[in-house]
Amino acid sequence: MGGPTRRHLLTLCLLLPLGLLAHGVTDADQEILRSGGLLAYILVGAKHMLTGYDHLLFLAGVIFYLSGLRDIVRFITVFTLGHSITLIGATYLGITADEHLVDAVIALSVLYKGFENLEGFKKWFGVSSPNLLLMVFVFGLIHGFGLATRLQSFEIGTSGFLAKIISFNVGVELGQVLALIPIVFVITRWKSKSSYPAFYRAANVYLVIAGVGLFVYQLVGYFGNS
Amino acid sequence: MRPFLFVLVALVVLSSHDMYLRLDSYFLPPDSEATIQLYNGTFDRSDNTIDRSRMQDVSLVAGGTRTPVDSSQWREEGETTVLDFTTGAAGTYVAGVSTRARSIALAAADFNDYLEHDGVVDMLETRRRTGQLEQDAVELYSKHVKTIFQVGDRWTDDWSTPLHYPIEFIPLSNPYDLHAGDSLQVVLQFRDQPLSDQLVLIGNDHEHSHSHDGDTHAHAGAELRTDARGTLTIPIASDGTWHLRTILMTESEQEGLTHESNWATLTFAVDHGQPHSHAAGAEHDHAYGHEHEHTWGIPGYAYLLGSLALLGALFLYFNRRT
Repeated sequence: MGGPTRRHLLTLCLLLPLGLLAHGVTDADQEILRSGGLLAYILVGAKHMLTGYDHLLFLAGVIFYLSGLRDIVRFITVFTLGHSITLIGATYLGITADEHLVDAVIALSVLYKGFENLEGFKKWFGVSSPNLLLMVFVFGLIHGFGLATRLQSFEIGTSGFLAKIISFNVGVELGQVLALIPIVFVITRWKSKSSYPAFYRAANVYLVIAGVGLFVYQLVGYFGNS
Repeated sequence: MRPFLFVLVALVVLSSHDMYLRLDSYFLPPDSEATIQLYNGTFDRSDNTIDRSRMQDVSLVAGGTRTPVDSSQWREEGETTVLDFTTGAAGTYVAGVSTRARSIALAAADFNDYLEHDGVVDMLETRRRTGQLEQDAVELYSKHVKTIFQVGDRWTDDWSTPLHYPIEFIPLSNPYDLHAGDSLQVVLQFRDQPLSDQLVLIGNDHEHSHSHDGDTHAHAGAELRTDARGTLTIPIASDGTWHLRTILMTESEQEGLTHESNWATLTFAVDHGQPHSHAAGAEHDHAYGHEHEHTWGIPGYAYLLGSLALLGALFLYFNRRT
C-alpha cells in the first residue's frame, strides 16, 4: 500500500467517528434539558445531529454528488428546509410515530443516496435518477420527522414549547454545519487525488451496505418491540 | 381569671391547624366525579371542618378558565370538609381555597412556642432581639391553600395560573413533568410580589409531617428559604404526595392586634408510573427514559469498528482494482 493511500485511510479513520456514534434519548440529555434553558435545547439538538450517523451518512452521500460550494449550499438549504418543516410542525402538533419505523425509512435514504451515486438507476433499471433536489427535500422531510419523534421522546413540558422546538432545530442546524465542514473538506480535498475513484466507490458501496444494515436493524427493533 | 384565660388560649393554640387541600389520587380520569378534601389539622389528619362563611374564595382552574366554586358543593365527612366536583377535559388542574382573616389572642409563651414549632423563626428572633418574648400577642391570621392535580393524559399550563391570594406558591414548571430525582422550582408571592428569604417547610407523604395539634411537634422534610427572587428549588427525592407550607408573620399596626400572619400551602403528586404527553394539545403517551437508553442504538464502538473495517477493506479493494 502506497503512502498516499495510507494517509487517506488515516484521514478516513479520524473522521469516521463523527458519523458512527449511536444517537438516542439519554438520561444525560434529559438532565441537560431539565436544568438548562433554551440553550440546552440548542446543545442537545447539535449533539443529536453530530452523533446521528444516519443523518450524516445521508448528507455525506449528497455531498459526494455535488461539485462546487454553490451546489452544496443549495442542496443543504433544501435539506434544511425539509427537515425544519417536519421537525417544528410535527413536534408542535404532537405528531409522532414508532421511532424504529421512522429510522428505517431514514436508513433507506442512506441506501438510496449510495445507490444513486453509484449510478444504480442507470445500471440496474436503465433509467436516469429522480430529480435530486426534489429527493433531498423529500428525504429532508423524513429526517425532520425522525428528529421530531426523537425530540418528543424527551420530557419538555408545555411552557415555552415552540421556543424549545425552534431552539432544538437551531441546534440541529449548528450540528449539521459542524459535521459538514470535515465531510466537505475530506471529499473536496480527495477529489484531486488519484485514489479518489476508489474512495468514491468504497464510500458509496459502504453507504448502500450501511443503509441496508440500518434498515434491517430498525425492523428487527420494531418487530422485537411489537 | 388570668390563669383561666391562658388555659383557654393554650387550648386554642394547641388546636390551631395547618390547612391543606388533598385528593385521594392526584391523577383523575376526565369527565368523572371526584372529591377534594380540605384538611384542617396536619397533612395527615383533619381535626375539624371549615365553615363555609370562612371561605373567601374557592376556585378551580382548568382549560385556561378560573371557575368559582359554590359553597353548596361542600359537605362534611367526619372532621374533613369535602368538595364534590366533576372533572372536565383532560388537563392540569388547580384548586384553591382562601379563608377570611380571624384573630386569636395568645399568651407570650404559647405564641413563642407556636412561632418556634411552626417555622416562624424570623418573628421569634425579632421578639428575642427586641425583648418582646414576654409580651402576649393578638394575631390576625388567614390561610390560602392550593393543590395541583392531573386529569387525563394531557398537560395544560393551568398550573402556572396565579389565584392572586395574599400569599401563594406558584410553580415555575408543571409538577406533573416531574419524576423522582428531579427538582421543582416554585416562586412564593406575597400580594403578587416575590417574597424573598422566607422559610418554607417541605415534606411528602413518606415523611412524618409537622403537627401543631398537641404535645409532639416532630418536624420532618426539608426547610428551605426563598432566594432574592422569591424562588425555591425543591429536590423531589421520591414519588408520592408533596406539600409546601409557609407562614409569613408581620407585626401589625392595626389597633387591637400585635401581629398578622398569612399561611400558604401547596400540594401535588409525583408518580413515575403515570402516563403523560408532552406537546400542547397532543394526546400521545410514551414511556421513554432510562429504559430507552439501554434498549436503543447500536453500541458506538461496535459500529465504529465494523464500519472502519468495512470501509477500509472496500477502499483497498477498489484502489487495487483501479
